[in-house]
Amino acid sequence: MPLTLRKPLLLGILLVLPALLLSLPQGEYQLDVAMTVLLYVALALGLNVTVGLAGLLDLGYVAFFGLGAYATAILMHGGPAEAAAAGGWSYWMAVPAAVAVAGFAGLLIGLPTLRLRGDYLAIVTLAFGQIAKLTENNWDALTNGPQGMEVAKPVLFGLELRAGWQLYYILLLFVLLTWWSVRNLNNSAIGRAWVAIREDEIAAASTGVNVPRIKLLAFVMGASIAGLAGSFFAVKQGFVSPPSFDFIETVTILAMVVLGGIGSLPGVVLGAAMLAALPELLRSMPTLLGLEGQFDVTPYRMLLYGAAMVVVMALRPEGLLPDAHRRAELHPHEDRPESIPGREEARA
Amino acid sequence: MRRVTAWSLLLCLAALHAQPADAASAAYKLGVAAPLTGPLAKMGADIRQGVQLAVDEVNAGGGFRGQKVELVVGDDKGDPREGMVVASKLVQSGVLGVVGHLNSGISIPASKEVYAPASVAMVTPASTNPQLTERGLRNVFRTIGRDDQQGKDAAAHVLARGIRKVAVLDNKNAYGQGLADVFRRTFVAGGGEIVLSDSVTSGDKDFTPTLTRIKARRPELLFFGGEYQDAGLLARQARRVGIRVPVMGGDGILDGTFVTLAGQKAAEGTLATGPGGSSQKGFKVVYTKRFGEPGAYSAYAYDAAHVLMAAMARAGKADRKAVLAAVASTRNHPGATGKITFDRKGDQPNFKFSVWTVQDGRFQLLP
Amino acid sequence: MDWELLAQQVLNGLTIGSMYALIALGYTMVYGILQLINFAHGEVFMIGSFLGLGTLMSLEKWVPGLGVVPSLAAALIVAMSGAALLGVAIERIAYRPLRHSPRLSLLITALGLSIILQNGIMLLVGTEDRTYPERFTEALQEGFDLGTVHVAWQQVLTLGVALAFMSALTWMVQRTRLGKAMRATSQDPVTAGLMGIESNRIVALTFAMGSALAAVGGLLFGLNYSINFFIGTQAGLKAFIAAVLGGIGSLPGAVVGGLLLGVIEALGAGYVSGTWKDVFAFVILAVVLVFRPAGLLGRPVVEKV
Repeated sequence: MPLTLRKPLLLGILLVLPALLLSLPQGEYQLDVAMTVLLYVALALGLNVTVGLAGLLDLGYVAFFGLGAYATAILMHGGPAEAAAAGGWSYWMAVPAAVAVAGFAGLLIGLPTLRLRGDYLAIVTLAFGQIAKLTENNWDALTNGPQGMEVAKPVLFGLELRAGWQLYYILLLFVLLTWWSVRNLNNSAIGRAWVAIREDEIAAASTGVNVPRIKLLAFVMGASIAGLAGSFFAVKQGFVSPPSFDFIETVTILAMVVLGGIGSLPGVVLGAAMLAALPELLRSMPTLLGLEGQFDVTPYRMLLYGAAMVVVMALRPEGLLPDAHRRAELHPHEDRPESIPGREEARA
Repeated sequence: MRRVTAWSLLLCLAALHAQPADAASAAYKLGVAAPLTGPLAKMGADIRQGVQLAVDEVNAGGGFRGQKVELVVGDDKGDPREGMVVASKLVQSGVLGVVGHLNSGISIPASKEVYAPASVAMVTPASTNPQLTERGLRNVFRTIGRDDQQGKDAAAHVLARGIRKVAVLDNKNAYGQGLADVFRRTFVAGGGEIVLSDSVTSGDKDFTPTLTRIKARRPELLFFGGEYQDAGLLARQARRVGIRVPVMGGDGILDGTFVTLAGQKAAEGTLATGPGGSSQKGFKVVYTKRFGEPGAYSAYAYDAAHVLMAAMARAGKADRKAVLAAVASTRNHPGATGKITFDRKGDQPNFKFSVWTVQDGRFQLLP
Repeated sequence: MDWELLAQQVLNGLTIGSMYALIALGYTMVYGILQLINFAHGEVFMIGSFLGLGTLMSLEKWVPGLGVVPSLAAALIVAMSGAALLGVAIERIAYRPLRHSPRLSLLITALGLSIILQNGIMLLVGTEDRTYPERFTEALQEGFDLGTVHVAWQQVLTLGVALAFMSALTWMVQRTRLGKAMRATSQDPVTAGLMGIESNRIVALTFAMGSALAAVGGLLFGLNYSINFFIGTQAGLKAFIAAVLGGIGSLPGAVVGGLLLGVIEALGAGYVSGTWKDVFAFVILAVVLVFRPAGLLGRPVVEKV
């Protein structure tokens, strides 16, 4: 699909969808779902930088999300959980700090591991994710361990922002900011360097691309975006505890990225919106079909979720809204980009 | 391509639109929120079934003025984020009160951020974290005791037995750690000695290294803060590494499955604190007939549902504020776990934990 | 230093480590031939464990008098063949059509499969933790003392069975024609195909063997611990780490990695803390990978230019 057609589409997703949401007969539940969707959009955009744009498989991604959330909680608390709450930072100060903490962690992990290839990088980041979660759960003095930490609400001009719609607009702002910076970066020389690395690292290096630095940049940027999302998550929930930062969250976000189309910004937004909204749709299924009370859909929810992943991958492996570059990488000999690759082509 | 996109957008929108019919239509709605999928699903099912039983009892008796109580079920998956979404969904579906959640990590934020602004009474059958009711919220109640009460009662019992050297383990979740911490403090204050204190990760299956370490310290009792899934395996492996002293735990291990998991021989003599069994018998018979052996939280959930429905009956109208006030005024409600009275915080100040022991392969109340 | 305590902890570690090793072999075999991380492998292990439980329970019911050893042998056969079929089916239905897709798509498919299998089993057997019938585990609870080191029969059985299967696999891969074909396919599938080796059959065979070994691990796991629909995730992760630690693609590496991981965990839990043990395991893994990316026994990957 030509670029001109995709632009209104992404505008539709980013602007029209929220507008539609807010014009709906509003309810806290709809707002909660909308915030879940937007939160995952932000997370997926961040992981997309690492996995999609630079081609680095980061399986510890959710750890950066957790770092952002815990950094926010601890800074707003005014020190380690064990110390009495005193003179905590304002949320607006804590946000950049949380982003910096997550980004710096990304740098620390990235520096020694980025010279590893593919699956090894995946496993080191996976291990890092586990370590982060275990540390959050076990370092009681800092994080209050499994008991979790309460987080205050953001205050703007002396007004406590606790209503759903107020938080929603903060998040929307964050998502647009993320979108804007990722897009600009991707359209710059750095973005072209990412494509070059993805397609052929050695060729890219020999044409003068500083491969480790460009990779590191993608890794740190992904981590920072996750930190931003985590910082919002902390105040939205009003409480942080380790179970929120499980490996399965990384898996979910990765699924969103791949489902929507690796490397494609509109695709990733779509993937995040679909997979975040799907469980809620399934939750409501019996009501929609007028079967309430007769059929318990709950245990089948995860099953359908898994099935959706497998089926989409089998029928359309490059995702729902593929990136033009990706499409070219995946189907080098194809003339008609609109055709849907079937098994025959995949085998050929 | 565009069709795919449009279609998926529609899906998303439908998901957001999808909500139970307007809140005003059905009058008496009761919510239950617990992890129905995921690793905690068994305990979530216990809670749900306890509530179902209570609701069916009330409905079999005609409901309220000819109107049946409608049960709205929410799956929080044991995940804090999902928990908040489910909570707002329940609130929006018009429930008058909620039985839930299982995890303190969900009950704490959900009660404050979602239920309190909507004046919805939350009665938890399982969250024992003291913090939950210490935040000045008026809409939080629990039919279960607090970890600090339970830990104290357990330590007092151990000291009364003349046991002075104890190893303490917990499974490092909010419940296990809270319980073990209070036990440690009370036990040491009472003159006991903790020969070893450590934690394991909940869901782990191999505890032999930790137990080997404990064996070398020769304790007279092994106290474990955690649920029966971990405790059962712990007791089994304790026997395998050659620890012959009794294992003790809180109400989280008071479940028939504990004996199955530990094996009859290893389970025998295990101690557990839990609710006293005044009317437990009647509940147990009815519950077992319908769902099988009750789980650790089934009776608390059954009581929580009855407390909420009794409050609805007293309030006399489907109004959240009235129901909330009625729940707060609950005094001496005859429940399956004992007489239930809430204090200003929503706790039961008189909740007294009894001690149970495994005898002939079953948990029995110690005389 | 208390040497007996140390020996005891090493024994504890080898016991769980031998189960990791059995699962890790499946990862490493599949990786060696397809360069694919088969994330659903942990679920195959879990299902193997449940097949064993199902067999033992059915035998208890229908053939009450059957001895412990024949029952366990029957459970082993059922679990292994069931898991092998499942592994082949997974490969045929989910992976083969995607063989030329990007690796990430395969990974997602594997994760999706893993979710499907996990929740499918949950619907079938419920969410409760289960143990194998007491008749089979009870006798194994006892043991004997070597000095002050206490050895449980369960540990003897676990280690013995695991080592037997690992030796059988090594013999098969190194000494038989089939093994030769497998090695050839893993080195260069195209050339192997030109030499008359049907690579699809070899891939299917690899999945079958890896899955059957995971089922052996599952049966041993069931005899030692409790099982539920969720065990595959954790065990799969550990085994995957074991495979990478030893050098993914290398069979002896998987065995060494598994045993080593078990011992590291046991020492971590035995001397430091039961909750920090995983952190040690992961940190050591990260260190090994940074300084020796190909793992302990793996060959360094040569970049194709």
